[in-house]
Amino acid sequence: MSLVQRNRIKRALLSLGAIAVVYGIAAEIGRWVLPHRIWMDVHYIDNVELLPTYQSLAEELAFLIQSWILPSSILVSTGRILAGFLLGSVAGIVVGLATGRAARLEYVADPWTTLLRFTPALALLPLYVIWFGYGEASKILLIATSVAVVAMLGAHQAVRGVPQVYLDAARALGASPRLIFRKIVLPAAFPQIFASLRVALALAWVTIVVAELIDAKMPSLGYLLALAGAYPRVPQMLIGLATIGTLVFLSDMLALSLHAKVTRWMRRTG
Amino acid sequence: MVGQRFLLGVSSLIVLGLAYTLLSNASRFIDVDQLPDPLRSTLRPDVLPPTQALVQAIVDLVRGPEKQPPPDEPAHMHNHVHTSDHVGVLLQQGVTLQTSLLITTGRVLFGMVVGAPLGILIGLLIGLSRRVDDYIHPIYVLVRSIPPLALITYIMLWLGHTEAHRLIPIVYAVATTMVIPTYHGVRDLASTYLVAARSLGARGWLLLRRVLLPAAGPAVLSGLRYALAIAWMTAVGSEMLMADNGMGNLIVGGGMWASRFQTRSDPAVVMVGILGLAAAGWLMDSGARLLTVRLTRWAR
Repeated sequence: MSLVQRNRIKRALLSLGAIAVVYGIAAEIGRWVLPHRIWMDVHYIDNVELLPTYQSLAEELAFLIQSWILPSSILVSTGRILAGFLLGSVAGIVVGLATGRAARLEYVADPWTTLLRFTPALALLPLYVIWFGYGEASKILLIATSVAVVAMLGAHQAVRGVPQVYLDAARALGASPRLIFRKIVLPAAFPQIFASLRVALALAWVTIVVAELIDAKMPSLGYLLALAGAYPRVPQMLIGLATIGTLVFLSDMLALSLHAKVTRWMRRTG
Repeated sequence: MVGQRFLLGVSSLIVLGLAYTLLSNASRFIDVDQLPDPLRSTLRPDVLPPTQALVQAIVDLVRGPEKQPPPDEPAHMHNHVHTSDHVGVLLQQGVTLQTSLLITTGRVLFGMVVGAPLGILIGLLIGLSRRVDDYIHPIYVLVRSIPPLALITYIMLWLGHTEAHRLIPIVYAVATTMVIPTYHGVRDLASTYLVAARSLGARGWLLLRRVLLPAAGPAVLSGLRYALAIAWMTAVGSEMLMADNGMGNLIVGGGMWASRFQTRSDPAVVMVGILGLAAAGWLMDSGARLLTVRLTRWAR
């Protein structure tokens, strides 16, 4: 490990530690200063800890883990994300590659991809509930849609970004369209497609927070958050936020390291 | 080339539009109940709203509620009419398509105006100094990982039931989105210029205005377009969850979330809402694209 890297890690730990300490102090002060009774439009809410102390956070976390609520929620939500992500990324990449390669197809698809592109995926939720019911299908399809749009745009632009010189050279050397697609377009477009998938993965986690509010059943992170907001139970709320944050962070790290691994061949100096 | 593009686009719109109209009106021509199941449950007017119902919904929602109650009925009757249909509920609340669009656009613009400078500032700070980057970046990654919509209830506890919990998530989403393109713009694109300008003695405002902003400009502007899309999504999401106006509210049809999904929303209204959102999003994005082209003319 180089000196620069060690320095970076030291500084990162220092600043994160500072945040943690500041929060701890703020929570201890807040226990005395902040109101425990909050007026919410029509009624009072009692026993609210606006800034829960580490102690109550730890108690809540222990409860959520012991009762198996948190682990099962993580499993269920992650499963939905994975299913939706796989479905959406495959569909989006296929469409994006197709419209990127065939100009006529692009013209035909253009009005519809534009419509889809500017539709906030969450707005589709009521429609999906009507079309696909309250069950698992509409949640997974909603995630798939939001992933597919980003993946489609990424794949389309990636294919368009392949330098014309490569294509011309290959054609001049007699490569068939299929060979060109497999040996030139796909490898050249790959890094950008992967980058768009990384964006889409983060978007999938945003979508699930809302998607899991339909037919809300307990093992799910979205409903955990909603319930915590309904009681309201702040420690649970913050643990839910932290859990989703951690999962987003972990999946992003995973995507990033995967990206580094599979594009090692194109690493350039500098 | 442009002619072909236009022609194919328009014809694809017309063909698919006609196909949809036929499909959604299928129950008029054939006995849908005799078809096998996926078709039977799909080809219903309350699942696939016919095109004329979409037009009707647009007309109703644009025209808005009738101004005067008929004089022969006492006024209180009108306050307690239980309308079960989506359009009826909306009209009773005085919701129209154009006001909802305006309100949501306003929220999106507020999010952009407040959030974008904030994000660009943070991006500049951590892009410029390695030391600040080392300290701030881990915190930024932590903050960025939290989906903005998940924050709504927590903000509500702090600030009560106000406009704040709709605006803060949008600002937050825009700001966190803008950090990365600015950061990379400064760090990757501008570092050579930066070293050269610094060694020539440029500092402060001069460095910012003459070197940094032009160099990082294109990356920041394309980031702005992406942030705009994120802002629309967050605005609609937060309105669907906790708001009594705006497009998100129009789509789910009033009331609070829990009760919203017990009453089935009318697919026609949802589709009209989506069309309106897409049109508004497209308009804003086109504006942003034109602006980008104009502002970065020197770069090409």
